[in-house]
Amino acid sequence: MFAEIFSILYQFADVFAFLILAAAGLAIIFGMMGIINMAHGEFITCGIYVTVICVQQGMPLPLAQAIGALSAGLVGIALERTIIRHLYHRPLDSILATWGISLMVTQGMLLLLGSSWRGIGTPLGSFQVGDYTFSTYRLVLFGAAIGVLAGLYLVFMRTGYGIMARATMQNAEMAQALGVRTQHMYAASFGMGAALAGLCGALYAPTMTLIPTMGITFIIESFVTVVVGGANVLLGTAPAGILLAVVRTALNAWYGQIAGQIGLLIAVIVVIRLLPEGVSGWLSRRER
Amino acid sequence: MAEVGRTVRRVGIFAATTLAMAAWPALAQQPIKVGLLEDVSGDIALMGKPKLNGSQLAAEEINKAGGIMGRKIELLHLDPQMDNARYQEFARRLLQRDKVDVLIGGITSASREAIRPIVNRTDVPYFYTNQYEGGVCDASTISIGAVPEQQFSTLIPWMVEKFGKKVYTIAADYNFGQISAEWTRDLMKKLGGQVVGEEFIPLGVSQFGQTIQNIQRANPDWIMALNVGASQDSFFEQAAAAKLTIPMGSSIKVMLGFEHKRFPPPALAQMHATANWFEEVDTPAAADFKKRWRAKFPNEAYINDMGYNAYTALYMYKTLVEKAKSTKKADLRKVIATGEACIDAPEGKICIDPKSQHTSHHMRLIGVNPDHSVRVIKDFGLIKPYWLGEIGCDLTKKDPKAQYTPTSLPKK
Amino acid sequence: MRGFFGSLNGPQTLGNGRSFWTCFAAALVVALVYPGFSDPYSVGNVAYLLIFTLMALGLSLMWGYTGMFSFGQTAFFGVAGYSYGVLAINLDASGAMTLFCLLGAIAVAALFAALLGYFLIWGRVSGVFFGIVTFATTLALAAFFGQTAGPEWAIGTARFNGFNGMIGMPPLMLPWVGEEDIVLEGNALYYFVLALVLAIYLGLRALVNSRFGNVLVSIREDPLRAELLGYDVRKYQLASFVIGSSLAALSGVLYTAWGQFIPPASMGLPAAAMPIIWVAFSGRQDLTATLAGTFLLLLAFQTITVYSQQYALILMGFVLLVTVLLVPAGFIIGIGRLLAGFAGRDRAGTRQDVPA
Repeated sequence: MFAEIFSILYQFADVFAFLILAAAGLAIIFGMMGIINMAHGEFITCGIYVTVICVQQGMPLPLAQAIGALSAGLVGIALERTIIRHLYHRPLDSILATWGISLMVTQGMLLLLGSSWRGIGTPLGSFQVGDYTFSTYRLVLFGAAIGVLAGLYLVFMRTGYGIMARATMQNAEMAQALGVRTQHMYAASFGMGAALAGLCGALYAPTMTLIPTMGITFIIESFVTVVVGGANVLLGTAPAGILLAVVRTALNAWYGQIAGQIGLLIAVIVVIRLLPEGVSGWLSRRER
Repeated sequence: MAEVGRTVRRVGIFAATTLAMAAWPALAQQPIKVGLLEDVSGDIALMGKPKLNGSQLAAEEINKAGGIMGRKIELLHLDPQMDNARYQEFARRLLQRDKVDVLIGGITSASREAIRPIVNRTDVPYFYTNQYEGGVCDASTISIGAVPEQQFSTLIPWMVEKFGKKVYTIAADYNFGQISAEWTRDLMKKLGGQVVGEEFIPLGVSQFGQTIQNIQRANPDWIMALNVGASQDSFFEQAAAAKLTIPMGSSIKVMLGFEHKRFPPPALAQMHATANWFEEVDTPAAADFKKRWRAKFPNEAYINDMGYNAYTALYMYKTLVEKAKSTKKADLRKVIATGEACIDAPEGKICIDPKSQHTSHHMRLIGVNPDHSVRVIKDFGLIKPYWLGEIGCDLTKKDPKAQYTPTSLPKK
Repeated sequence: MRGFFGSLNGPQTLGNGRSFWTCFAAALVVALVYPGFSDPYSVGNVAYLLIFTLMALGLSLMWGYTGMFSFGQTAFFGVAGYSYGVLAINLDASGAMTLFCLLGAIAVAALFAALLGYFLIWGRVSGVFFGIVTFATTLALAAFFGQTAGPEWAIGTARFNGFNGMIGMPPLMLPWVGEEDIVLEGNALYYFVLALVLAIYLGLRALVNSRFGNVLVSIREDPLRAELLGYDVRKYQLASFVIGSSLAALSGVLYTAWGQFIPPASMGLPAAAMPIIWVAFSGRQDLTATLAGTFLLLLAFQTITVYSQQYALILMGFVLLVTVLLVPAGFIIGIGRLLAGFAGRDRAGTRQDVPA
């Protein structure tokens, strides 16, 4: 009985971690900046490949993962400076630009790096509860998801950067008038979003097949979570993750993966119908 | 006058001969156009690239040896980018605009189904070179890859005898997976075994925590792994990480996606599969073939069965054309109807079955070792594609242009 | 005659002057005589590309004119395609019956659009959320149809056939007096699709320049103000959504009949993103730009794919990126402005471009 309960909790934590880690980067770029970033998957892929390259060079995995996340962030800042900053006044056109980037990057990687790489293997082994055996590394992923949420909260609520970033997102002109260098805020936020996407890739790199298009696997889940969460990352993403993880875990367990996948999409439709501004919009309205 | 007349006649004969001599090489130089549709971009470039390479290698070899009936092969390749609409566009383009003599290609069954109706309106034969779920009974289509009766009828009895009667099937949730799962169910029933669990996974899913737990709960003797695509391959890594170490069988792993090369050991240990080709085949003919392939494509990650089949398909086409002395579909089919459409392929001698237009294959059972090396466990010899013939498909008599499955048989 | 032409012109469309209509007439003549100067393959291929412009025109109406960002054109494309298959296979349709099936399939999709539209618009879902819900709808449909491989998934004798797609439906046919039915292929299909595109393009021009169209644009600019002026914004939005989605449905039926095949992938990613790409590339706020741009982009992508093989996707991405950075209003509108600027009568200049 305990094993059964533990198994359910473990599966929930697993799905939750996947949703949160996939969505965190997008929550900043899409949720806060309003840029529909179709190249989100490619930032994830960037994190994955850099991590794998570092491991192949003999680095310990955690260091490799940090470098993976960091390089995705740097790529993000470079992209923001050259391209994205022209698109802030027409967010829907960002679909075209980022989709174009996504096409170029995936196919470019396929041509440069080949169609597949050898995996690096999952660390930390397994443990047993009752009749079931579990991968220990998956608990690390759950811990990382919690860590990302806590980190986001601290950064945006407790640092000077956070206050200025939130001010910029709410009213850029006013923030600028008050002396905030909004250009830097945008660049830093975009970079942070990209770095979080890279972190997601770096964390999942050991557990998955390595092909240039693998970032796409995360796309649907990340958009779904961000939209259900609503515009406010701090308020929305965590409850959205919990809600969707419950729906998906239950459907996966009782009706199989296809029900889980379709159920997730239907949950989005229903949630948006009931709460047109997402969970965070609803929560902040209740506070008022 | 007679003298003059003779001269004129002589000149006439001379001129005619010269004309014929001039025309003959011109005709001989007219290349045979081979239309290729293989995905070399996107998700399944992993499989499409070796297929293109296989066709290129075969065309180069055939052209070096003098072509087909003195005519060179010209490959016309288009990349449909995994898009079924593009498959249709490009099939039309190759058939109507470029007027190819034969069409080869398609990876997923969906792409094959997309182009079959288009090929069917022409006089051009179509070669599908993948292993697949079987059952296509269509006079325009010639299937070169292995089919379920060659793969499952050999693998499953052996797995049951060796590991036990309880199987858990995980399969991709689309036609290939569902029909293959159907085959597994049927064969297990005949063998007195039991399918203790069956799970269908949508394409593109990459997380398998729940699946792994479901398998542990059902506690099977072995797993039938019919997961498809790079995302779903992550199952092996995640199962290994969760210490799920149960023997596995499959009709698509190792020889096709070379998972044993892509994942670090021991994720694929205890995987078993039956195949007509895998790079580890170790006969003199196979070794020679691999040497030629590696000389042309030194960076090939793995010479998989799809690439190999694409290679043999062109040789099969050559044999058909040379025996028929024509490139017309109807004439090629007359050769197939004799049952003597055979070639000596690197795997051994293979022939096209007249009733179903599928290919007999030399099947071998392979197992993956803990260090991911591959051993041949059992050699089944030549196995014919008999199933379609048994259920009543006979293309020498009737062309239903349909695809049958164990639960959807032709109407009697 | 004057009244008819008058209704086609107005503030909501670019190109209202004599020079525009002269160019239009010239283009039409070229299109009419084109089959005489080309090979059967190319004619069929142009007809095939034109099929998709209808879906783009529908999106332009919804997104460009009414401000509803629908990411789900493919849902209606697919639903109509499958409906056509189900109807045509079960009725064993031929001749005029196939056209009846075409209308029936569009009706099914329009009903679906009306339901979904009611659900969303009356729920005050708007902006990017509207896009995400329609996107989720099309993905859910793709996932559902993808797992219908078993024989139990059938309506009558028409099997959905899972990921491999539904096959076996007849092509469209026109009944012909005293003769055999004309199967719509090659030239016949070309003229049929051309006539449809022409009729729908002119019809939409008349629509957006009418009072109804002005209300749609006012909703795009400021829904609240439109409401305060006394319009029931929701009804106008719903009408626009149903018309736009029905055009996607028409594309879907034509595509299905053309290839005698409709797969679930036609509703999934990346198919769902394509209409957005075409319309955004062309300039979503004008019908002429959408029509011309979509056709050119489709042709360009196809040509790039044929001739550059593995580099195709890189080139396509590059084209999109450059367009967005250099010509913000959309490629065709950008070119149109340039030409109009040379001609010195820029009527577009009176209109402000507001991001939708």
